[in-house]
Amino acid sequence: MYPFGYQRIDTPQALKAAQQRQRGEADKAVSYLAGGTTLLDLMKLGTLAPAEILDINGLAHDYGDISWADDELRLGALVRMSAAADHPRIRSDFPVIAQSLDLAASPQIRNMASLGGNVLQRTRCNYFRQTGWTACNKRQPGSGCAAMEGVNRKHAILGVSDHCIAAYPGDFGQALVALEARVDILGFHGTRTLPFHQLHLAPGSEPERETVLLPGELITGFHVPIGPWTRRSLYLKIRDRESYEFALVSAAVAMHLDDNVIRDVRIALGGVATKPWRAHEAEQQLIGRRPDLPAFEAASKVAFAAAVTRPGNRYKVDLGQQTLTRALLQLAEMEV
Amino acid sequence: MAETAEGVIGKDVARIDGARKVTGAASYGSDFALPDQTYAFLVTSTIARGRIRHIDETAARRVPGVIGIYTHRDIAGKVKAGKLMADGGYLGTSIQPLTSPDILHDGQIVAVVIGESFESAREGAYRLDVAYERQPASASFDDASVETVAASEASKTHEDPKVGDAETAFQQAALRIDVSYSTPTQHHNPIELFTTLCHWSDGKLTVWESSQNVWGYKYGLAEQLGIDPNDIRVLSPFIGGAFGSRGSLTPRTAIIAEIARQLGRPVKLVPTRDQGFTIATYRAETRHHVKLGATPDGKLVSLSHEAWEVTSRPDNYMVSGTKATTRLYQCPNIYSKVSITHADRNTPGFMRSPPELPYLFALESAMDELAVATGIDPIELRRINDTQVEPIKGLPYTSRSLMACFDAGAKAFGWHERNPKPGAMRDGDWLVGWGCASTMYPTAVAPAAAKVRLMPDGKAIVQTAAHDIGTGAYTVIGQVAAERLGLPLANIEVQIGDSDLPPAPVAGGSNTTASVCNVVAKACDRLRQQLFQQSNAASATDISGMPLDAVLNDLPKDGIEAYAENLPHGTTQEGIGKLYHGHSMLAGGSELKDRIQFAFGAEFVELRIHRLTKEIRCSRLIGAFACGRIVNPRTARSQLMGGLIWGLSSALHEETEIDQASARYYNDDLAEYLIPVNADVREVEVIFVPEEDKAINDLGIKGLGELGNVGTNAAVANAVYHATGFRIRDLPIRLEDLLAVES
Amino acid sequence: MSGIHVTTKINGDEVQFVCEADESLLDVLRNRLGLTGAKEGCGTGDCGACSVTVDGRLTCSCLVLGAEVDGHDIGTIEGMAMGDELHPLQKKFIEHAALQCGICTPGFLVAAKALLDHNPEPTETEIRFGLAGNLCRCTGYDKIVRAVQAAAEEMNSAKKIQQKVA
Repeated sequence: MYPFGYQRIDTPQALKAAQQRQRGEADKAVSYLAGGTTLLDLMKLGTLAPAEILDINGLAHDYGDISWADDELRLGALVRMSAAADHPRIRSDFPVIAQSLDLAASPQIRNMASLGGNVLQRTRCNYFRQTGWTACNKRQPGSGCAAMEGVNRKHAILGVSDHCIAAYPGDFGQALVALEARVDILGFHGTRTLPFHQLHLAPGSEPERETVLLPGELITGFHVPIGPWTRRSLYLKIRDRESYEFALVSAAVAMHLDDNVIRDVRIALGGVATKPWRAHEAEQQLIGRRPDLPAFEAASKVAFAAAVTRPGNRYKVDLGQQTLTRALLQLAEMEV
Repeated sequence: MAETAEGVIGKDVARIDGARKVTGAASYGSDFALPDQTYAFLVTSTIARGRIRHIDETAARRVPGVIGIYTHRDIAGKVKAGKLMADGGYLGTSIQPLTSPDILHDGQIVAVVIGESFESAREGAYRLDVAYERQPASASFDDASVETVAASEASKTHEDPKVGDAETAFQQAALRIDVSYSTPTQHHNPIELFTTLCHWSDGKLTVWESSQNVWGYKYGLAEQLGIDPNDIRVLSPFIGGAFGSRGSLTPRTAIIAEIARQLGRPVKLVPTRDQGFTIATYRAETRHHVKLGATPDGKLVSLSHEAWEVTSRPDNYMVSGTKATTRLYQCPNIYSKVSITHADRNTPGFMRSPPELPYLFALESAMDELAVATGIDPIELRRINDTQVEPIKGLPYTSRSLMACFDAGAKAFGWHERNPKPGAMRDGDWLVGWGCASTMYPTAVAPAAAKVRLMPDGKAIVQTAAHDIGTGAYTVIGQVAAERLGLPLANIEVQIGDSDLPPAPVAGGSNTTASVCNVVAKACDRLRQQLFQQSNAASATDISGMPLDAVLNDLPKDGIEAYAENLPHGTTQEGIGKLYHGHSMLAGGSELKDRIQFAFGAEFVELRIHRLTKEIRCSRLIGAFACGRIVNPRTARSQLMGGLIWGLSSALHEETEIDQASARYYNDDLAEYLIPVNADVREVEVIFVPEEDKAINDLGIKGLGELGNVGTNAAVANAVYHATGFRIRDLPIRLEDLLAVES
Repeated sequence: MSGIHVTTKINGDEVQFVCEADESLLDVLRNRLGLTGAKEGCGTGDCGACSVTVDGRLTCSCLVLGAEVDGHDIGTIEGMAMGDELHPLQKKFIEHAALQCGICTPGFLVAAKALLDHNPEPTETEIRFGLAGNLCRCTGYDKIVRAVQAAAEEMNSAKKIQQKVA
């Protein structure tokens, strides 16, 4: 860890002042601290070294609520993962959200991590995490990518580039991208709201740029629309260990099933892509079809048609297809 | 005495150190703190082979609180490299960092930064600029420039057990199994980090470090630092997991001691988890070629086991598990050969059941393949080949209850309900697989010494430099003393884990209970003898049952003391001399001239494998074990249960992945180096099969700490085959190995 | 290096300390306050040996800054027993041999207590997943689950008796 300034932000006014200050010091690396489960982890490893930390846990009054409108669920960015996962109405009305949070990390981490921080968690690629590896374009632009020819069993096969194959590690992000959530971002100029799928960037030639957030901008909350598919939704996470492990492959799926016909379906895939990944083509395959195994298998194939693999992660195509098929079968059988 | 102490040995009692452990009061290495202590943070190499070209300390020295930076420029000539334990030394590696600018493996210590706080030392370490001259490095079997030599060439004492003509018998056999297996690099990963605290006072060194071998550490450090062993004290009252990783001295200890000497202040090192992968030892990857020839009715006529193990460039470390695999079944023709492959790696070392785990995985998988080939039930196949006479030298086993274990385990498991056809058993979307395998572990006992002091208030203190690595040594030692002295267990204070106490062997090879309990019993008997002879209460032959009450009042104020040494079967007087120099003369297993000493067991696994996504979950684990006299069923059960879960972990999860291009470890943290969590472990059952072995030692104790995790590996692989029809011969078994299974 | 003044409650007692920004709560507890019951097994939130509660919430103290806990209540293993009287979880851990080397034990106990505080009658599966953040390498998982079940049962029946008396 390298030294840094520590400041508590307890009011929106203090936040605004801090953002204003940051504007004047554009090249000073400032990080917001909420749960700290990614930030402090990577700071201890020496991978991240912000000059200043703004502890925003004092803003829970402003950004720490779960609320409901007629047409959407609102999640404050400082809601803890466990609080959202345990929320009875989220469990019943948005199973995919509750499950994606429940199946993530450990009770300790879920108690600490905020939803805003969760969607920004960094990849688990150890070539990125550990500064002892010299080739990592994400950590050190232009240095290369050791994962290409190295250990890559857990790396991405969708949305990859020649510069980076690091997988986006999150679970909740898959639920948000599947449900077409929107994200509130507070910056110096005020709040902007983006479709969640626009928040993250695929690596392309600049893997160091992971999101569209500008310096000083803070995620303050999420809006998740309520639709005829949200109750029939689930998160299936496949991993070596039964709990406390990142996904090898996961699927966040939601379906509007009417008269045994798929009217609408949402599919997002985790563990296989460089960012929260929506499988639009697979969804298109299914709309208007009956929910049966051949339809699901065909859609699963389409979902991975664009996969680019390395020797260590080639299995993820097959596993991904099986995972999605299994998730869709389970979804069709759900009692709602 | 209000409470009778008879039958304390064998009694199911809670561990006597429990209260300290559940309240946080038990102190492990880094829990100790000294006034004026400084903190050390290691800088380790990011290359696996080459040289340090240059170290720039400027930025690191500027960090507030950094008070020292130690590199080979400061340590070379002050700390000597030592010999491997196997070569008569005390260390787990002959590679001693900071003695030259040479780098022989990934993560080698290249500098130690000392700070007034942990945080300042860490920042200083991060700011230390080390430039390397990098050379190509090779990590494992298939890499260029590794060097493979036969173990018999590498070591004069190595023997490859053989009998008859295995090749001819194999060629003539009606049924032949000819297969290859492999096991990966694994790391012990005890939850306690590899910490060290060193303090000098009046020329004497005290080291607080979790150790399985405090006397060995004392003598090893003396040699490395060039000082008198009597000026060194190693303290290790509680040990946060060891599994072999703390049996031999690691190079860090002498370095920290030397820095503390130069600095004139105590130094505390708390390395990171990832540094633990390279500053200590690990289980090396192995490869196996097994050939079994059998008659149509399953009788083995030929058994051949050839194996290869990875080691470091300079060291000939090897485990040679053929010593066990050639002693499991009756077979007239046996061939074995072990080779080692030198690569650019840190030196591997003992990890729970070092030889038996990888080697029995191969043999017991092959036996299952033979069972399939012959159509004979796997348990019956083992019964057909069971023996009471060891096949290589024709010696008797002191006791061998393998089939009794299979029978007890099969009954508890419900094995008779097994449909042998692969893929035939299902539970909804889950394929169910049942597998079993034999387990075995040599019983070795070493010379040991102990002191017992009885006080007039009826309390006794037992002192021996043994180690409780979580096994329950405190408790079983207390139980033996309680029974032999005729006192309640609560009256016994057990002092261990301190090199100032009478010497005991390394807590390795599952010898502690047998070695230490026998010598403690002897010391207690001697004390009673002294006591009753002094008070003329009885003849020496009739004192074991005498109540102490009558004589306590006559004791001097500071009590009386007895000291004992024990030379187990197969050891010589030389062993006592070695004991007092920190060497453990372990005798047993297949190494004795007149008999064979092993504990045996049978392990059963039930797996569920999802028909689509193929993740593998273990729903049941049952082990039946015969290991002589059980001193404490509660702590023994813990050891065996932990072993079963270790075996499961090894079969399905554990693998240190290596970046081939750089010969560096990749997944060096507990998020990516997987061990099971609570939800991965469902039903686990341990069955003790009664076994009386009067020959093995006075108390009839066999070691059991490493028996549990041996057979599980093959039992899991055999269950995977049963569930899917896929034979996976390379550990760990992962879902991608099974994606092609049609279901 | 200015030092940050922190006022907090640890196991019910007010504690003040001064720390640097880069000190974790775990290091403050261990190195500054001498509370070594919480252990460091990884420093990266992967093992749970450093588990403490902050305002009743189970957390990894290795991923909390000392500076963050100003004004908050910390619970550690040292505060679990009432004087010499062990907490039912502590007793059941000893009884069921749910500890071996003991290095993970404080973390497991703190986590188990947080679990039972939140869910006094957990199912076996809830216990297994509720303790997912704690690694035991020795490994006593089965016995840990039995010990937590037994402690929950004892605590619940004690509660029922108290309610009856009231």
